[in-house]
Amino acid sequence: MNENVKIDPATSATCRVPLLALFGGAALWLVVGLALLLLASLNFHMPGIFSDRGWTTYGRMLAAGNDAILYGFAIPAALGVMLWILANLSESELVLPLVPVLAANIWHFGVLVGMAEIFTGNSTGFQWLEFQRGGSVLLFAAYMLIGISAMATFGARRERTLQPAHWFLLAALFWFPWIYTSANIFLVAWPVRGVAQAVIDWWFSNNLIFVWLTLVGLGTAFYYLPKFAGRPLQNQPLAFFGFVTFILFATWCGIPQGAPVPAWFPAASTTASILLIVPILSFLAVFVKTVAKANTQCKGGPFCYMKFGTTAFIISGLMLIPLGCPRFGVLAQYTEYAQAQTYLQILGFFSIVICGAVYELMPDAVGIQWPFRGFIRVQHWLFMLGLAVLVIPLAIGGIEQEMNNYDFKSGVVFMQISSAGLALLLLGSLLFAANIFVLTMKWKLGLAKSFLGVIKCPLESSEVKS
Amino acid sequence: MSNDLKDHTPAPSGSPGSGPALPVWVFSLTLVLLFLGGVYFDESSGWFNAQVYKPYTDANQLEAYQPVSGAAAIRAQGKLRYDMICAACHGPNGEGKPGQAPPLAGSEWVNDSAHTRLIEIPQLGLNGQVTVEGQSWSLSMAPMGAGLSDSDLAAVLTYVRSSWGNKGDDVSSDDVKTVRGGIAGHPAIPGETGLKAIKE
Amino acid sequence: MSPGIERGEIVNTGCRIFLVSFVALGLSWGAFVIAPAIQLGTQKQTSVLNSSEIYPEQRPGDATMGLQVYRRAGCAACHTMQLQQDGVQCDVVITGMGKTPGAVSNLLSSLSLKSLDKDDAQSASDQITAAGGKTEIHIVPTGGDVARGWGSRHSVSEDFLWDYPVQLGSVRMGPDLADVGSRLGSFSWQLEHLYAPQAVTKNSTMPPFRYLFVVQKPVNGVPSPDALQLPAQFAPPAGYEVVPTMAAKKLAAYLLSLHANVPLHDAPFTMASAAPAKSQAKKQ
Repeated sequence: MNENVKIDPATSATCRVPLLALFGGAALWLVVGLALLLLASLNFHMPGIFSDRGWTTYGRMLAAGNDAILYGFAIPAALGVMLWILANLSESELVLPLVPVLAANIWHFGVLVGMAEIFTGNSTGFQWLEFQRGGSVLLFAAYMLIGISAMATFGARRERTLQPAHWFLLAALFWFPWIYTSANIFLVAWPVRGVAQAVIDWWFSNNLIFVWLTLVGLGTAFYYLPKFAGRPLQNQPLAFFGFVTFILFATWCGIPQGAPVPAWFPAASTTASILLIVPILSFLAVFVKTVAKANTQCKGGPFCYMKFGTTAFIISGLMLIPLGCPRFGVLAQYTEYAQAQTYLQILGFFSIVICGAVYELMPDAVGIQWPFRGFIRVQHWLFMLGLAVLVIPLAIGGIEQEMNNYDFKSGVVFMQISSAGLALLLLGSLLFAANIFVLTMKWKLGLAKSFLGVIKCPLESSEVKS
Repeated sequence: MSNDLKDHTPAPSGSPGSGPALPVWVFSLTLVLLFLGGVYFDESSGWFNAQVYKPYTDANQLEAYQPVSGAAAIRAQGKLRYDMICAACHGPNGEGKPGQAPPLAGSEWVNDSAHTRLIEIPQLGLNGQVTVEGQSWSLSMAPMGAGLSDSDLAAVLTYVRSSWGNKGDDVSSDDVKTVRGGIAGHPAIPGETGLKAIKE
Repeated sequence: MSPGIERGEIVNTGCRIFLVSFVALGLSWGAFVIAPAIQLGTQKQTSVLNSSEIYPEQRPGDATMGLQVYRRAGCAACHTMQLQQDGVQCDVVITGMGKTPGAVSNLLSSLSLKSLDKDDAQSASDQITAAGGKTEIHIVPTGGDVARGWGSRHSVSEDFLWDYPVQLGSVRMGPDLADVGSRLGSFSWQLEHLYAPQAVTKNSTMPPFRYLFVVQKPVNGVPSPDALQLPAQFAPPAGYEVVPTMAAKKLAAYLLSLHANVPLHDAPFTMASAAPAKSQAKKQ
């Protein structure tokens, strides 16, 4: 959409189909996931509403909603954006373009299998790793296929110098297979005994939700922000220092302060949380310096998404640090405060940055403008408002709950308010899905038309082409 | 305004000092936080000890808070021996075993204000008829406690006399020592008559 | 740091990016995957403090199956099993006034005996003993969860030694369940609570789990011995009865098997009674 960005036509041509496959399914899963979370939250308004069927029980709908958003939307959308950015940075075509198309279908089918397992009650029981063997094997295979294509594209780059986006995206590419196999081996295939399971699950979910999503999200933001702002990323060494300290420290967070494990686990997490201030302030400085003097208005477009998303990351990071502090952490860890931080990370920071990137890159990749351009601005506002209504009551309610001696009856009102936030987010995601769906339809229609044209009057069309 | 792809490549590496440098505050902040984090970890981690959980911060503190002082410790020591030796017949809760061993919970012999008889029974054994809580028992108890040390036997008896609703005084190891000195070489106590013959 | 690092040039090849990532992730992998697998994954049973009792015992068969019902129902979405203990204090308890009760009671008026740290408790105890009295030092865990009556000490890894999957939970939309078997130890109470939480706990926000129960007419006209006794407001229509399924019974058995009420070396406290805690729970 940004007319000044030059896109290699070969890049667009090869990325088109994989991206449509990845983003189409992702948008659908985002809608499904938010709808499930909204349905689950109806339990706080009418406690008995879904009590007559096993598959509609709160625990299953919540897990399914969370996983639909994380595995169905976040990861495939991230992989699509990653492929696009890597191909553009390489100034080359996407290598093996059919492999990601296949992989996208395997991935989304894997998510479907995993969701079915959750609804039938066959989840693993580990938070954020609920998919059983069947689903997770498919996800892993699909990821590796996309990884092959991404690495080959990276290897074929003409410009040998690495960009900041490269650091983040390459690290992310490498991160997921390691944490996903580790978690599945130690928790599902050959489970370890006792509480070690919980420690590994915390390590996995922190590395996926906090580290992996941040690496992809910030990589994307640091790729697009300079383009939108019209000036290079300010102080690249600082960005690099932030990157290294982030991957060194953030991986150690995530053990709750009151966990029933020997004291050195939470103490190590606390130390890491304290040190996390360094990368977060570094990223903040890079972000502010790059964006502050930009002479472009964002006007509800992708630039707004990037700015809003990066700000949400800073807040999410700053919300995570106190969770690692012994006093406050013990107070807040079991309340909705921790949930608010997770939702801010996934739905606030990550989804916004990725949606912004998708809005920016798809017209270039497909060669068709967005059918509903007004939706872009509306979705931005809906997400902003929805997040505020979702996260702020949860965070406040979390603190209030502990102060109030866990009076669950009085805490429910915060959950009830946050349902409204979920409804707004669902509305926003419907706009996103509608845009992608109609864009895909238009593209298919165009494809069919040109195909028909070739059949009807082959000569003429070949003349047009040449 | 040029938004060309290449406009944010870093400065060519051949020109040292031309690119922006890392701000000093980042270094200082990192060092300060590393120090603070290290101090915190040292103070509260228990250095990887598998036994140290919050709220304890090191193994020595954990040891200090083990409940092993005063009468609680004696009772605990007594329970340990009782569970090993006596519980097989008299039951883990002193309820006894029909036809074999009378209950200790509520027994008048156990709750007797004097405890010489109670100290002698496990050391000498008890053969013959005894009435406990209104029921007559024909017993042949071996000297099960003869091998226990003074303090262990005292602990067992203290535990028995203060558990399951029993309300007897504590038995000290001095008491056991005194009684033990007086009965060396005696045969098993011949039933209730023998018990009643024991002078307080 | 060298100027190269300061300008980010050290990561100007893909290999170096991977190397940096490998080191960063590898360190935390060693600490939070391999170390717990070795340190906690090889853990064995221990014994209850000052007792020959082994802890934890294997859960009964139906309770072990009940853990799977707990997982399937997603109970961990709202309930934790992680009791918190903010601190520990010592109470000095007088067990006997000895032969000079006057001297001891004089001393007692000038000493504080509650909520002491270990050293103060020891010195108070020593003074009383010197005056002829008898004392015990009780180790008392403190903190919100203990005060709420959710449990008597912090949770430790031994509590979950036999469980797969370990369901620690992460959010408290309802009370902590680590010691629920000691707290709410009645089988029928658990079943009624699962069917209609508000019938037994007035202000409960828990959704009912009716799908674990069958509402039926008594088979052959004979009422089932398992049928729930419910208040009129929650009772089924006349002529019907509410019977728990096998899953509901297993879940209730699992909830009753949740005990974290014995002192261990890594979670010491003084038990209120010398009788073993487990048999107390059985009696309820």
